[in-house]
Amino acid sequence: MKNTLYKFGIGLLTCLVLQSCDKGFEDLNVNPDASSTINADFVFTKAQYDAVGNMITGLQGTMQYTTSYNDVASWGSKYIFNQGTAPYTVFSNAYVNEINEIEEVVRSLEKDPAQSNKLAIAKIWRVYCYSKVTDLYGDIPYKQAAQGYVNSVFKPVYDPQQAVYADMLAQLESALGSFDASKGTFGAADLVYGGDLTKWKKFGYSLMLRMGMRMTKPDVASAETWVKKAIAGGVIQDDADIAKITYLASGQIVNQNPLSYWMLNSDYLKADGNSNPEGGKYHETFINYLKATADPRLPVLSVVYVNGKPSTDVSIQKGMKANIPNTKPSDFVTYSEPNQNTILKLNAPMLILTNAETEFYLAEAALRGWYTTETAAALYEKGTRAGLRQWSLYGADGAISQTAMDTYVKAMALKAGSFEQQMEQIYTQFWVSVFPNSQEVFLNWRRTGYPALVPNNYVGNITGGKIFRRMLYPATEENLNAENYYEAVGRQGADNFLTPIWLDK
Amino acid sequence: MKHRLPCWPNGFGRLLTALWLLSAPVLAQTITGRVNSGSDNQGMPGVTILEKGTTNGTVTDSEGKYRIALSGKGATLVFSFIGYTAQEVAVNGRTTVDVQLKEDATQLNEVVVTALGIAKEKKALAYSVTEVKGSEFTQARENNVANALSGKIAGVNATGLSTGPGGSSRIIIRGNGSLTGANQPLYVINGMPIDNTTPGGSATTNGGQGNVDRGDGMAGINPDDIESISVLKGGTAAALYGSRAANGVILITTKKGRAQKGIGVDFNSTFTAEDIAVIPDWQYEYGQGDMARKPTTQAEGIAWGRRSWGQKIDGSDFVGADGKTHPYVAQKKNLQNFYQVGKTFTNTIAFNGGNENITYRFSLSDLNAQSILPGTTYKRKTGNLNINGAFGPRITVEALAQYTLETGHNKTGAGDALGNPNWTPYMIGNTSDIRWLKPGYDANGTEIAWNDAPIASNSYFVINKYKEDDSKNRFIGQVGLRYKILENLSVKGTVSQDFYNYNFRYILPTGTLYVPNGQFTQMKTDVSETNAMLTANYNVTIAKDFGLSALLGANSRKYNYNQLNLFGNSFTIPFFYSSTNLANLTTTPTNQRIGTNSVFGSLDLDYKGIAFLTMTGRQDWFSTLSPKNNTIFYPSIGGSFVLSQAVNLPRVIDFAKVRASWAQVGGATPDPYAINLSYSMVPSSGQPLQNVSSSAITNANLKPLTSTTYEVGVDLQFLNRRLGLDLTYYNRATTNDIVQTSITPTSGYTSVYMNVGKLSNKGIEALVTVAPVKGRDFGWNVSYNMAYNDSKVIKLADGINSLQMATSVGNWAYINSIQGRSYGTIVGTTRVRDAAGNIVYDPTTGYAVKSDLHELGRGVPPLTMGLTNEFRYKNFSFSFLLDGKFGNKVFSVMEVYANRMGKLKRTLDGRENGLTVTGVTRSGDAYTNTIAKENLRTYYDNDKNYTELFLHDGSFVKLRQAILSYAIPAQYLRFAKVQSASLSLVSRNILTLYKRTDNFDPEQSFTNSSNQGFESLGLPRTRSYGLNLIVKF
Repeated sequence: MKNTLYKFGIGLLTCLVLQSCDKGFEDLNVNPDASSTINADFVFTKAQYDAVGNMITGLQGTMQYTTSYNDVASWGSKYIFNQGTAPYTVFSNAYVNEINEIEEVVRSLEKDPAQSNKLAIAKIWRVYCYSKVTDLYGDIPYKQAAQGYVNSVFKPVYDPQQAVYADMLAQLESALGSFDASKGTFGAADLVYGGDLTKWKKFGYSLMLRMGMRMTKPDVASAETWVKKAIAGGVIQDDADIAKITYLASGQIVNQNPLSYWMLNSDYLKADGNSNPEGGKYHETFINYLKATADPRLPVLSVVYVNGKPSTDVSIQKGMKANIPNTKPSDFVTYSEPNQNTILKLNAPMLILTNAETEFYLAEAALRGWYTTETAAALYEKGTRAGLRQWSLYGADGAISQTAMDTYVKAMALKAGSFEQQMEQIYTQFWVSVFPNSQEVFLNWRRTGYPALVPNNYVGNITGGKIFRRMLYPATEENLNAENYYEAVGRQGADNFLTPIWLDK
Repeated sequence: MKHRLPCWPNGFGRLLTALWLLSAPVLAQTITGRVNSGSDNQGMPGVTILEKGTTNGTVTDSEGKYRIALSGKGATLVFSFIGYTAQEVAVNGRTTVDVQLKEDATQLNEVVVTALGIAKEKKALAYSVTEVKGSEFTQARENNVANALSGKIAGVNATGLSTGPGGSSRIIIRGNGSLTGANQPLYVINGMPIDNTTPGGSATTNGGQGNVDRGDGMAGINPDDIESISVLKGGTAAALYGSRAANGVILITTKKGRAQKGIGVDFNSTFTAEDIAVIPDWQYEYGQGDMARKPTTQAEGIAWGRRSWGQKIDGSDFVGADGKTHPYVAQKKNLQNFYQVGKTFTNTIAFNGGNENITYRFSLSDLNAQSILPGTTYKRKTGNLNINGAFGPRITVEALAQYTLETGHNKTGAGDALGNPNWTPYMIGNTSDIRWLKPGYDANGTEIAWNDAPIASNSYFVINKYKEDDSKNRFIGQVGLRYKILENLSVKGTVSQDFYNYNFRYILPTGTLYVPNGQFTQMKTDVSETNAMLTANYNVTIAKDFGLSALLGANSRKYNYNQLNLFGNSFTIPFFYSSTNLANLTTTPTNQRIGTNSVFGSLDLDYKGIAFLTMTGRQDWFSTLSPKNNTIFYPSIGGSFVLSQAVNLPRVIDFAKVRASWAQVGGATPDPYAINLSYSMVPSSGQPLQNVSSSAITNANLKPLTSTTYEVGVDLQFLNRRLGLDLTYYNRATTNDIVQTSITPTSGYTSVYMNVGKLSNKGIEALVTVAPVKGRDFGWNVSYNMAYNDSKVIKLADGINSLQMATSVGNWAYINSIQGRSYGTIVGTTRVRDAAGNIVYDPTTGYAVKSDLHELGRGVPPLTMGLTNEFRYKNFSFSFLLDGKFGNKVFSVMEVYANRMGKLKRTLDGRENGLTVTGVTRSGDAYTNTIAKENLRTYYDNDKNYTELFLHDGSFVKLRQAILSYAIPAQYLRFAKVQSASLSLVSRNILTLYKRTDNFDPEQSFTNSSNQGFESLGLPRTRSYGLNLIVKF
C-alpha cells in the first residue's frame, strides 16, 4: 500500500516537474474542420462573389426602378427609414467579407514574386471593393481597415474620402503597371475573366475611368487627369470584355445570382403577380419612361400577370406609384414586375462594369473635350447599342432584334444642345442601359443630376422629400468605434442621408 | 392505545414486534416514555434507544414516544441522536422513563458538503456555504430546478426565463465575474462536474426564426433525486474545482439508499397549472385602424391588422382581417384567449434498500408538461440508480447512473417577428379578437395574412404549421472506488461521464407568407464531459489537540462537442419536410475538443475544534491556450475561529465564529481554436471557396485569467439559537479576463478574443434566521437573506474603454461594459434637451433631436433579497417566500412595437385634435409643431430612436412561493402500510407585489446568456398553482 501511494506521488511529481501535463494539448487544439494555410485562389473566388453580391437593394427604389406599398420594403423610394439595417449593408458586409478576404489574398501572394500577376489582379479587385463602400458612405476606414488580425487594429481610423480616392487610384495604376505576360495568373478561380491579363487590364482602366469621372464635382482637374490616363491605357469597348460573373440555376445559394435571389425571395417567388411578401413592383417612373420611349427592353424586363400567367404585352405594362400608404392596393396584380425569364433567373449574370457604361463615360469625356478620337454622339450611340445587346447575356428571352435596336437607337440619338442637355440625355440613357446596377446609376445621378428624377414627398419621410445623397454608417459604429466615428462625422457632417460627402461637394 | 410502533420500515417493525412478543412473557419489563428536545420541549422523533450492553433497541415515533422491552432488570438505556449529547439513564425499576436531550455544543454545527463531495463541519469552514435541502424543490416545483433557488440564498441571483417548460436557467453568484464569459457556476453531482451547456448556444437577444431556448443541463435534473444542494459561493470554496469554479459551484448531492429490511418506496406526485402573470395595460380608447379611421374593407382590416390608430371606440361596425363585420369594441382578452392554461404532471417513484454492505436507491420519474402556448409540450423521463457498497473492510464503491430523455415539441421562439408566436396576441389591433385569425391557414395550407408585414407571422399559423422538435438523450455515469490503506489514509479514484446527444429540427413550413417555399434547420449534437480523478486523503491527530487532514489529487478533464448543422431553403415538394427535399442544403460541422489537466492539494488543520486553517493549491493546464501560456498555479488560504468555544461570551450568545479567506482561481477561454488563424471551405456548387474560419479574431497571446476573492464573515447564534446571523463581506476581482467582444466590422472581423484589465465585484451578504415561536404544536421560523453586489469595470484594454456585449432588435439599445461603470450597462439615446429642460427639435424632420449614445442604467440588479416564513401547527405547515430584486433597468422591445402600433397609453396624446409639441430648435428658438391626428402613427414610430422612452426600472418584489402542507397522520393510513404521507397546496410566482413595468413582467428575459436587460416579446411569464402528494411506504 505504501507502494501505491509512492507510485501515485511519482506520477504527480512527473507531471509537475517534467511539465508533461499538457501532452497532446497542442494537437487537441487544432480545428479538425479547418486548414491552417490559405488557398489564395479559393479565397479570391469568394471575394469576387462577395463583392459583386454586396449591394443596397433599396437603391432600386431610390433610382425609381421599383417600389412597394410596404413602408419598410420601400424605404429607398419613400425616403423613410425606421427599422432594420438596410442602409448599412454594403458597409457592414464589405469589411468582414470581400475586403478581409482580398486583404488575406494580397498578404499571401505578396510573399511570392512568381505570383505577381495574381497579386496585381487582387489589388485591382481590392480597389473595386473599397470604391463600392466609399462611394456610398464618404469617409471610411481604409488605411487601417481589415487589420484586426494582422495588426490588432480594433478601432480603425476613418480616412477622408479624398485621401481614399487618391490612394485607390495610385494603387490601381501601380497594379496595372505590374502585369507580366511571362508569369502565371488565376485560372478558373477568377470568375470574371478566367485570369485573362488583357481583359483585366481593360477592367482596371475602365475602373479608373469610372473613378475618374466620379470626381468631376469636387476636383475636375484630377478627374481629367485620371480619365485621360484610363483612356490611354485602354478601356472596355467590346462586349467580350464586359466584366461579369455568371451563376448557376441551382445548388448552393452562393453560386446563384444574388440580385435575382433577393428579388425572388422577397417578392416574386410565387410568380402569380399577387402573392408577394414585401409588396414589390416596378416603379411608375421607370415603366412610364420605357413605354414613352418605346424601349424594346420593356418586354424583356417586365411582365404583368393576367389570370396567373405572365404577359409581356407592352400595352398593359404599368408601374406602381411610390406613395401608397402601407396598404396593399386592390389592383396590385395589375402592376408590372420583373420577368422571371430574364432578370429573375438565378443563373442570370451580374454585370460589374459594362461596355455600355464605359461608352457613356467616354461620351461625357468627349463632351468635356478630354477625349477626341470619337464624337460624343457616336460614343453615346455605341453605349446605347451595347446597353440593348447586353440583355442577350440573360438568355434567349433577353435577345432584342437588330431591327428593334436600330429603330430605338435612331429615335434616341443624341440631340444637339448645350453640355447640360447632352449630359441629361447621356445619363438618362445610362439609367435605362445600366439597369439593374442601381448603385452606379445613383452615383452618376448624384454627380450629374440625371436622370432628372422627381423626388417623392411621402408622409413621414426623413429627408424633407429629398432624394438620398449617401447611405448611413451602421448604427453599431457609434458604439463600437465611437471616437473615430465622431471624428468622421465631425469632419464630413451629420450621419444622415443628405450630408454631401466629398464626391458630392 | 399508545401501542403504536415506531415509524420504521415494515419488515424491521415486524421484527421488533416479534422480539417484543417473544420476550414479554419471560421478562415482563416494558418501559415506555417520551424523548423531548431540550431547546423547545418538542417530542423528538427518530431518537435511537439502546439497552446498554445489548443489541436490543428501538427508536422514537413521530411524537417522540417509545416503548422498549428490557432483557435485564438492572438495565441502563442509552438515548442518542445526531447533534445531541447522548444520555445514559438507569431504569431503576421504573416503567416510564422520559428524557430530555440536550444539543451538543461541540456538535452544534451541521455537516455540509463541500468541494469534491467532502463533508465538513460547518464551523470549520473559512467561507460561506449555503445548503438547501432537496425537499425544498420537490413540493412547489420548477421544471428547471435551478430556478427554484431564486430568493433562497444570499448572493445567488437566479433568473427563470420566460421560455416555457424545458427552458434554461441563469444563476449568477456574487455578480458577473467575467465580462463576456457565461458567468454561470459549475454544476457538480456527487463531487464530479456535469455539463450545463445549452446545445447550439443560448438564444440571442435579437434572433429571428428558430431562436428557441433549447434548454440547459440543469433542465434534465429531477428534483426528487436531490438530497441537498450546496452553493459554494467564494473562490476558496471553489478553489479545488479549478478554473470553471471561478463563478462558484453548485454541488448537488443525490439521494442514496438506506440499509433496511425489505424495500422502501417513496412516491411523489405533483400537478401544477399555470397561467399568464401579467396582462399589458394597453389603451382601449381608440380602436384598430389607421389615420384615425377604422377599417371598412378586408384590405384595410389586414393592412391595419396590428395598428390601433383608428377612431374612438364606439361600438359601431368595422371590418376585421377576416373580412367579417364586427362591432368596434375593445377586445381585452387576446392574451387569455390565445394562450391556454399550462399543465404539468410530475410523478416520481423511488425504491431503496440494502444491508450494511450495500445500499441502493432507484428512482423513475416522469414529467409531462403542456405550455401555456397551445401545442407546446415538454416531456422528461428520468431513471436514477445510486449504489453504495463495501467490499471488505478496506474497499468501498459508489456508483451513480442516470438516464434522462427529454423531448420538446413546438418550443416558442422570440426576438424578431418571423415565426414568433407571441407576436400576434400582443400586437393585434385592440378591437380585433385574435380568435378571428384561426386556424391561421387556408385550404391550400398557406398562412392567412393578418397585417401589412408578412414577417410578423400569424400566431395560429405558427402554432399549427411551424414544427419544432427536439430530443435529448442523456446519460450520467459515475463510479468511485475508495481504498483504505490505513485507518487514516485512503485513496479514491473516480471516473465520471456526462454524455448527451441532442436532435433539433425546426421547420419553417411551406405556405409561410414571408418565405413561401419554407426553410429547414436541423442540428445534431453530441457532447461529453469526462473527468477522471484520483485523490489521496490522510488524517492524523498530532499531540492530542491538533488535527491534520491532507489531500492530494489529480484530475483529467476531456470535453467534446460535436455538432452538425443542416440548413436548407425551399422545399421542392411542398409540405414534405425532409432534408432530402430542398433546393439547397448547407452542412456545417463543429467539432470542439478541450482538455484540462490538473493537480491539486489541500491541507486542513484544526486546533481543539476551536481554530481551523485550510490551504489549497491547484495547477491547471489548458488545451485551449498556446503552450507558452497554458498553465497557471493558484492558491487559497482560509481560517475560522470559534470564539464561543475559546472564550466565555455573554449567555445570550450561543455561538460565535469569525472566518476569513483569500483565494485565487485561474481560468482559460472556454472555446478551443481561439489562438490561431485558420481557413475553412465554404460549400459551393461551382469553384471551390474558402474563407477565414472565424469571424472572431484569434489571439495566440491569450493567457489564463485570474479571479481573486477575499471574504470575511461572522456566524452568530443568540437566545438559545432562536436568532441567527450570518454576515459576509467579499471582494472579488477578475484580472486578465478573457473576453470575446464585439468589434467594428471594419477591422475585418466582428469580434476578438483578448485579455482585458480588471473587473471587480464587491458585496455584502446577510442571512438572518429567527424562530419567534418554538412551541410543541406551533412553530414559526423566519429566514431573511439579502445581498448587495457592487460590480465595476476597473480597466479594459489600452485604447478601449467600452465593450459592446449585446444589441437589441433594431439596435435600439445596447448592453455595454464601460470602464468605471458596472458590468452590463444599458446604453442608448435620449431626446436632447436644452439647459432649461426643453426638448430640442430638428425643424427639417419635425422630430426631437436624438442624443449620442450614453449610459442609461444597469442591466443586472445589484440588490437582491428573499424572505421565507414557515409556520407549523400540528400536522399543518405553511410557508411562503418573498423575493425581491432592485436597481436594474429593462429595455422593452415589445413596447417599441406597441408604441408603433398605437397600443401604449402614451400614444393617446393627440388622437382627437392632433399632437402639438413644443420645444426649441438647435439654435434655441422656440419651436412648436402640430402633427395631424392622421399622421400620428409615423410620428410615434420615430420614438424608437429614443431608448429612454422604453426603458423601465426592473425592480420587483414577488410572492415567489407558497406551500400549505398537511401531514396525514400515519395511523389513518396504516391499513395501506404507509409510513408517512403529506398533501400540499403549492404555488409559484403567485403575485407581484411591486413592479414598475406596466406591460410586462420585469423578469421577462429570453436568454440565459450574459446579456440581461432586454425584454423581447417572449412567452409571457406565468404563475402556477398545484397539488403535491408525498407518500412513503
